[in-house]
Formats: sequence, structure tokens, C-alpha cells
Amino acid sequence: MTAATANPHVEAAQRGLARVWIEFESALVQVPVIARMLAGKMRLEDYQRLLVNLRQQVVEGSRWISRAASNLSVRHEELQSLFVRHAPAEHRDYRLLEQNYVATGGALEKIRTARKNIGSEALSAFMYQAASRPDPLGLLGAMFVIEGLGERLAAGWAEAIQSQLQLPDEALTFLSYHGANDGDHLDMFDQALVLAVTDAETAEEVVRHAKIVARLYRLQLEELDNV
Amino acid sequence: MHSVFVTGTGQFLPGDPIGNEAMVDYIGCLSPAAERLGRLTLRQNRIKSRHYAIRPDGSSDWTVAALAAQAVQGLVRDAEVEAREIGFLATATTQNDLLVPGMASQVHALSGLPPMEIASLQSVCASSMMALKAAALQVAAGEHRAAIAAGAEFSSRYFRPGHYLGTATMAEDGTLPGDAEFLRWTLSDGAAGLLIEDRPAAYGLSLKVDWISLRSFADRFQPCMTGGAVRTEDGLKPWSQCGSIAAAAVGGAFQLRQDVEALHRMLPVWLGEFMRLVDEGKLDPLGVDHFLCHFSAHSLREEMVRLATKAGCMIPEERWFTNIYDKGNVGAASIFLLLDDLMRSGRAKPGQRVLLAVPESGQCIMAYAMLTVVGEEA
Repeated sequence: MTAATANPHVEAAQRGLARVWIEFESALVQVPVIARMLAGKMRLEDYQRLLVNLRQQVVEGSRWISRAASNLSVRHEELQSLFVRHAPAEHRDYRLLEQNYVATGGALEKIRTARKNIGSEALSAFMYQAASRPDPLGLLGAMFVIEGLGERLAAGWAEAIQSQLQLPDEALTFLSYHGANDGDHLDMFDQALVLAVTDAETAEEVVRHAKIVARLYRLQLEELDNV
Repeated sequence: MHSVFVTGTGQFLPGDPIGNEAMVDYIGCLSPAAERLGRLTLRQNRIKSRHYAIRPDGSSDWTVAALAAQAVQGLVRDAEVEAREIGFLATATTQNDLLVPGMASQVHALSGLPPMEIASLQSVCASSMMALKAAALQVAAGEHRAAIAAGAEFSSRYFRPGHYLGTATMAEDGTLPGDAEFLRWTLSDGAAGLLIEDRPAAYGLSLKVDWISLRSFADRFQPCMTGGAVRTEDGLKPWSQCGSIAAAAVGGAFQLRQDVEALHRMLPVWLGEFMRLVDEGKLDPLGVDHFLCHFSAHSLREEMVRLATKAGCMIPEERWFTNIYDKGNVGAASIFLLLDDLMRSGRAKPGQRVLLAVPESGQCIMAYAMLTVVGEEA
């Protein structure tokens, strides 16, 4: 970004988000299931559990994004279009998780009917609460964390899991799809941030939402199957 | 707390500069494959020459403490302050000559200085900043009127074929794992140091120490650059717990290794520290006149510049000052070498701000220091 187009509020938000991300990524490696994966000691049950637990949160994705979009006022039309365009991707995601689960030998019925774990409950409740407020621009921070997982971590996780468990490609499409495609999402995210962040207060809100979601996302991974 | 100033900078590099073609005469030839990887490494780190404290046959008149002592003696010789007023010596290195006692004892012994307080800081590159902070705080607290922080490395001696032959690290075809070979072609020898005082020098330029920040992220990273342990399925096993010294040696315990994958994960953490300092109002990227950064990983540079730019944290590239191409990567001596070369270059002007940056991959440390140039040019 050249000096002419640099926006100090967007830059402050980017700094804050980068710091939240660092904290998040560093802390994730201490979550038991991730630590086992990074140590090359993941079991099939671990991966299946991960799929089942993630699915219950991902299935809510398009709903909270749609709700957030409907609460954006006319001033934020462009952002609203971005939100609306993003919602269908979330539909695809939870179906990928279900297909992956079946490809590992799991029963479709089980992944569809499992309950949210207590971390997912907290994450979901926060997302709906935030999305229900007028002009919920802070939710961009939430998206940053969730999309960031796809962009920065998913591909490495897919590779690690596949090599440890010798799974076929069709058991890993959720992670590998995100690893391959979320680069575009993050570019889109940078655009969205420029549209949304025009003052210091919004920059702070975005970073605060990212911080909360990063913690709750980790909680969801810490509480696998704790329903 | 008193204000503290860097009133002297000095360096000692053994022998003549050694060009890339002659490297193998010093660190020795393991195999043609190892040399190919060496050439690749040199293309990536872009080092053109360095200094070695060993002769081509591997023998040496030097120790790491003796290299450090040369830098210390140079500082004392050029100082305005009397040698007996220098009450504190902090030394930094990656691997001391001896396991026991600490390096500062040997450096003190060789320096010619009278009885004094010492501290031996041992880590990797960031041990230099630990020494600098220790020296600055000692003077700031009024414990001593003047102090020296010195960093030194003598890595070449670990890179000779004799340190690999017959160990588990070396494959049958004479190749080493990339992480071990990479270091052979990256690190070299030398020493440098700073004189810290409670007042600026009466003649010439000094550097006021504005702040020093050093943070470890070992709470979230496994050891990345290691020496002294055998790598096992369950992690690192210290050399002293391998059953016998011979078993430890054969297991490869006495070799330096670096996990390059972990290095990539550390980059955003290092940069995040920069962002923290910006957000806390300690650092204005555009207010930095000289950026002295001990980064050697050129492959990571593009990603770093991209991240830094969109977060408003990019120091314009023309303000980056480096000497890695002709002095190499000298670990714990590097940041002091950089500062000494900057001060000798004539580019530092009164009122300018100098930012030091030292990332350490050991188990993830990031250190920054801000200095302001004061005084009048000699």
C-alpha cells in the first residue's frame, strides 16, 4: 500500500488482527488434539471427533453471516453484498465435513445429529449476539480468525493428517479446499476491511471481536465431545 | 534510573575475509551432495565473505573467549573512561569453549581488567541483547559507572568433518540433513561489543539507549535451533542422559541443528512484537533512520514485507543497514558488528534514531532496542 492510499485506522486494525492471530496460532499448538497432530500422533478417532465437532459450528455459519448482512444499514451496502456472497460457501463447508466423515468410515446420521460442544455453544452464541446488533462491523474480526484458519493452517493440517492416517483425498476435502482457496478470501477480507474501518472505534471493535472469537474457537477445540 | 549511552563500539574478526569458493578449504568437504546444498544455501543467504578462526587444517590459536577478549580490549583502548571504572562485563555466545565455568570468566581473565562484576549470557543470537540489557540496566541503576556487553562466536570449529563422521546425523552417502548442512554454510566467527556509560562521550557520537525489549515465546514453541541433545521420537534427549558420552556423540548430540519449518512459524511472532511496540507508542516505523536487523532468512523476506506494509509497519528499505554480505552471520556478535559498522560508516547523524532487531530461532525470542544518536561528529 502506498502512502497515498494508506489509512491509519485500517493499518491499526491490521496490526491488531495480526497480533490476535499470532496469539491464536501459538496457543493452538497447545490444544491437545492439535498437539497430537503436530507430533505425528493423531489417531483416526481424533480426526473423526474433529470433523463431528467442527460441523456443528460450521453449519451455523451461513445463518449468522446472513443475519449480520441483514443488520448492515444502507451505508454499508457494498459490505452487505460481500457478506451475502460469502454465505453459500458456508453451506458447502458443512457438507464437505459430512462427506469427509463418511469417507473415514463414520455414519452420516451421527455427524448430523451430534450436539455442539460447550465451546461451540459459546462461539455460536457470541456470533449470533454480535450479528444481531445494528451495523455489526466488528464481525469482520470474527471472519478474519475463521478464514485465517483456512488460509494459514488448513493445508498443513490436511497434509499432516493424511500422512499420519493414510486417508484418501476424499476424507480431507474440507481442510484441503480451504488451504487451496482461502487466499482469495483473505484478499477479499482486506478489501472488506478498507470498506468497513473508517475510524479508530471500528478498528478497535474489529480487533476485539477477533480476540473473542479466537479464544472461543480454541475453546471449541479444547472441548471436543464435551456436550 | 540514569540515562545510559553507548559510548563505544568495537569488533574483532579473525584473519582475512574468506570468499565463498574458499569456504570448503576451512569447514572441509563432506561430499559433493553436501557442497551442492552449500552453494544453494549461499545463493539464499547471499553471504559473499566471512571470517574463520580456524586454519584450513582445522587447527586454531583462538577460543571464543579470546575472540571476545579482543573486542573488549579494543573497547577499553578506545574508551574515554578509565579501565578501572568499567565495573561490569556481560558476555554473549551460543556455545562457550567450556561447559563450566561461564564465558564471562575467561573473557575477564583475558581482558586485562581488574576485579569486576560479570554475567555470562548463553542463548543464540538474542544473547547479545540480553547482555546489552544487563549492561544498560546495571549502569541505569547506578551499580556501575560503565559496563561492557560483548558477543562472540566460534562456530566454524563445529562444522569440520570430524564432528559429523561416524555419527547418526550423517547419511552413508556423506550428506547431512538440510537443517544441519544449512548452518555449516551460514555461520562464521568473530566478536564485537559495546561500551555503556552513564553519560555520552565527550568527543564524537554516542547512542542514547531509549528502551530495550526482549521477549521469549518458548511457552508456545518447541526448541528449534539446538545443540547438545539427541533427537528421539519423544523429543530431545540431553547428551548427559544418553548412557555414555560415546553414545551421545554417535547419536549426533554435539551438532547444531535448526528446524527450518518452525522458523517459518516464528516469523509472524517476531513481526508481531514490532506491531506491539508500534501500538504501545514506543516505535514509529517512519521515525526510524537506521534499521539494523539481524535477519538472515531472505526467503521469508517477501512475506514479511507484505505483512509489515499492510499493517503500517514497514521501515523504508533504504533505511535498512546490513553487513551480512561481507561479514556473514556471526550469531551473538552480529548486532554489535552491525552497530559498529554503522557508526564507522559516517551515516549516523545526531538526532537520528537507530532500531536494533534480533530474532532468535532457538526457542523463539524477539528483541528490539531503540537508540538515539547524540553528540557531535568528531
